[in-house]
Amino acid sequence: MYTFELRVWYDETSRCAFYTVQRDGSVDSETDAFFAKYEDEEAEWHDESNQLLYLILEKIGNTYGATNDFFNRPENRAQALPPKPGSRLPEIVALGFNFPLRLYCYRISPSLVVLYNGGFKDAPSAQESKDLSMKFYDAQQFTKKIQEALREGMIIVSDDGRRLTDYNGNEEIIL
Amino acid sequence: MKSKIAERILAKIPEETKIFVDKYADLVVLINSVLKEKGLTQKALADQLDKRPSEIHKWLSGEHNFTLKSLAKLEAELGVTLIEIPKPHKAEREFTLDNGTTLKVYVNKDSVLNQEIPAQTDWVTADSMEQTYELSHVG
Repeated sequence: MYTFELRVWYDETSRCAFYTVQRDGSVDSETDAFFAKYEDEEAEWHDESNQLLYLILEKIGNTYGATNDFFNRPENRAQALPPKPGSRLPEIVALGFNFPLRLYCYRISPSLVVLYNGGFKDAPSAQESKDLSMKFYDAQQFTKKIQEALREGMIIVSDDGRRLTDYNGNEEIIL
Repeated sequence: MKSKIAERILAKIPEETKIFVDKYADLVVLINSVLKEKGLTQKALADQLDKRPSEIHKWLSGEHNFTLKSLAKLEAELGVTLIEIPKPHKAEREFTLDNGTTLKVYVNKDSVLNQEIPAQTDWVTADSMEQTYELSHVG
């Protein structure tokens, strides 16, 4: 398993702060790499990627926090966004059942979420999807390491639940 | 700290996309909250909606577009308003103040003010008492 840095991705949101992971030697964080893939207006799934980013930053980050409403798609240890619709409203399917993209994440608390990478789901399961299988595996590994570090006190969640530090209070966290 | 890529993309997201995601997320949260409040599961809701299983399946799998009729049925079953359409607004009263400023008063006749609005000295002058009286009756 590779070494990675666990660091803030976007924390200027009032209800929930977002962390990401960056592998040793990588130029971008995993989450930046995900959104960069769809940034070009001509890119397939550009609009869906925009929807996902707005859902994360505005609705989860600023409006509701990381409530169960948005995290009901468990993927073994990690979780995937967007959530399945918690209702029978096909209008909202575009972010639910038929939504083509998956972004893996790990919710530490309603005010702290670690976002990973993801991709296009083209098969019934993530493991069978060409673009997702490795990201799915990576998400499990990242989460496993973060969970272990939290359990062993190597990393600590701040009192306000929005920040992570190592056991010495340093914000640079290498796992 | 803000991801530069996220900031760059966020600045270019079309208003239409924002409105869609706003409504999507608000509906999900509202429906979940009503189901919880009523102690209903999603399956129980499907039973109460009395839809044919194939139709429910289509709703769930996203093969059907959601219709106004389906939404009405869901609102009736849950007993809550899920989507509210604002009524057209038009000015009920118009006043022109001494300084030439035009004051337009809009009234939402469906809402009732149950509290007194405290007078503010810079609003009320001897010259505008009549206007103040009119204002106090438009709620």
